Amino acid sequence: MFEAIAFYTFSILVIGMFGVVVFSKNALYAMSALAGGMIFISGFFFLLNADFLGVVQIIVYTGAVMALYAFGMMFFDSAKDVKENIKYKKIIYTLSVLSAIFTIFILMAPIYSVKIEAIYPTMENIGNIQMIGLILFTKYLVPFELAAIMLLVAMIAGIVLVKVKMEETPTNIEVARGEK
Amino acid sequence: MELRGFKSRNATPGYIYFEGETEVKTPWDRFKRFSSRAVKGELFVGLWIVLREMLKFNIHTVQYPQEKLQMSPRYRAIHRLLRLFESGHERCIGCGLCEKICISNCIKMDTKVDEKSRKLVTEYSINFGRCIFCGYCAEVCPELAIVHGDDYEYASEQRAEFGFREDMLTPLDKFKANKQKEFPGFGALSKDADKFVKKTPLAY
Amino acid sequence: MIETALIIETVVKAVVVLSVVAGMGAFATFIERKVLAFMQRRLGPMYVGPYGLLQLAADGIKLFTKEDIIPQNTIKPIFIIAPVIAASSAFVAVAAVPYFPEFTVFGYTVHPIVSDINVGLLFVMGAASVGMYGPLLAGLSSANKWSLLGGARAVIQLLSFEVVSGLSILAPIMMMGTLSLIDMNDYQIGGVANWLIWKQPLAFVLFAIAGFAETNRTPFDLIEFEAEIVSGYATEYSGMRWGLFFIGEYANMITISVLVSIIFLGGYNDMWFIPGALAMLIKVSLWIFLFLWVRAAWPHIRPDQLMWLCWKVLMPLSLLNVLITGIVLV
Repeated sequence: MFEAIAFYTFSILVIGMFGVVVFSKNALYAMSALAGGMIFISGFFFLLNADFLGVVQIIVYTGAVMALYAFGMMFFDSAKDVKENIKYKKIIYTLSVLSAIFTIFILMAPIYSVKIEAIYPTMENIGNIQMIGLILFTKYLVPFELAAIMLLVAMIAGIVLVKVKMEETPTNIEVARGEK
Repeated sequence: MELRGFKSRNATPGYIYFEGETEVKTPWDRFKRFSSRAVKGELFVGLWIVLREMLKFNIHTVQYPQEKLQMSPRYRAIHRLLRLFESGHERCIGCGLCEKICISNCIKMDTKVDEKSRKLVTEYSINFGRCIFCGYCAEVCPELAIVHGDDYEYASEQRAEFGFREDMLTPLDKFKANKQKEFPGFGALSKDADKFVKKTPLAY
Repeated sequence: MIETALIIETVVKAVVVLSVVAGMGAFATFIERKVLAFMQRRLGPMYVGPYGLLQLAADGIKLFTKEDIIPQNTIKPIFIIAPVIAASSAFVAVAAVPYFPEFTVFGYTVHPIVSDINVGLLFVMGAASVGMYGPLLAGLSSANKWSLLGGARAVIQLLSFEVVSGLSILAPIMMMGTLSLIDMNDYQIGGVANWLIWKQPLAFVLFAIAGFAETNRTPFDLIEFEAEIVSGYATEYSGMRWGLFFIGEYANMITISVLVSIIFLGGYNDMWFIPGALAMLIKVSLWIFLFLWVRAAWPHIRPDQLMWLCWKVLMPLSLLNVLITGIVLV
């Protein structure tokens, strides 16, 4: 019973939060609701006894949304509403609702037609973390390594981009001294 | 005199000069600076000093309403009017110098000539709301009649808080109990003042 | 019925831990004022009660009865919720921390931990990092430039030091092969020689530095540094809302102290003749004293120095530590 209560509470919270993300015109509301929703999702992982994933969800998305806040802080005045300029409201709403229904249909159809079963059923004597490790380094090794390389590439690209700018732009001290 | 010598003219012998950090130019210099900063342990010196002070427990707090500091004689607080030691008369001769010199115009006095054809002070008041406690009145007074006391708690409810002659004058009972001390502070003669007395040069 | 008993037990534990940590946090403010005063040759609070002990109660009454001001142009809901996030996440983090060895009361064995999840360490650090949303949201919603600067600094501080604390804690995790704080404690059974600090001194130092940064304590308290940005994120806050930030900060301090004691300093195992619970109490007190001591002695650093320190010194060091640990373990 407690699981059901928790599940529905978290569901309502998550849907409500993401609803705020979509419909709010204030950048600060949207980002805070996004952070809240991401953290509430971890509740589902805890309900499924996937402690590790739940905690990772919290840690990763805290940092990620925090970076988003940093950008939001630079781009928007959080005290004011963002002015949206939507020309074809009806088309956009119909299309998005339709695509949402379509996505749900695609995802739910196989669950209803064939009972989906886990390829790697949880083993009793092995903990959560070990299971993830096992799967990551056996079945999903190639995607895992590819993702790592992609992140590395992105990081190096970011450093290179910033580094070039840093050498070109004079620092405040140099400007004050009249060196540049 | 060089600038360095000029700056050190008052310095005590153990004075340590800090020339400023040497400018780093090469990466090697930078590395040396970094490693010396990292290894020297100056941060731990700071930690040790505060811990030492805590363990010494050498507290400098004065818990004010219960404890009070002994004021220096040169401290300039609320004025007092003194009496002559010999007769107990007030010292003030009504010359009006203090009233004249007061730069914030807070001293007011009124005098008359009494039946012995002496000048007598009838009214004397200081507006402590205006007084800036500069000490000119005590310094200019030829009789050492008006001096500064050490009573520094003179908060009042109003801006204009007047001190009258009756408040500032040494009370008679206190005077009779030999409680009035000669004022050693601002405007008083120094102990070796007699040595400096010279004849007035009359032969112009 | 077992489930009901479990729920009752958990609720009781949660209430006890909550009140004890909040009380300790409040008491830590008093201790902080006293210790700082002694280190600066002052006496600290002296008038309210014996040796100023009741100053705590006076401050509490003041905070609770103060007028609750929400300034104009603030974004109200977020302004209101920010201190709650700061305080509640600090207390949520406390849930997965074991304090004492288990003991028996009236024939009933008590595990002094609210929820023994097997990823306790990660949970605590995750909840603590959520706590940084408090300052951030407060800064963004206050409609005040100082607050905004404080919020921006909170972002860079979190993004920088999450990396260091995560990487520095990775090496001990690799050695012990567990994320559960209880298992980490049990790994170090058997006296001072078995403490992890002797095997992972670098990780210990790095984690301690990161801990100072995550609790916003002095060398890194630039998100509320008075001389630069008035009071940072808390500029517009008053009364109990400000008090919640304060309680959250001290609860975080206690949590970090407990974490360091458990991971590196042998946890609540018996130390020579000292029983485990007392040893734990001593270690935590010493760590809190260290927090205060450092505050009395050291200056602040600038935000650019913070990021320099983090990305150019601490992160490479912690990576190196992980690498060496890996080589040794293999």
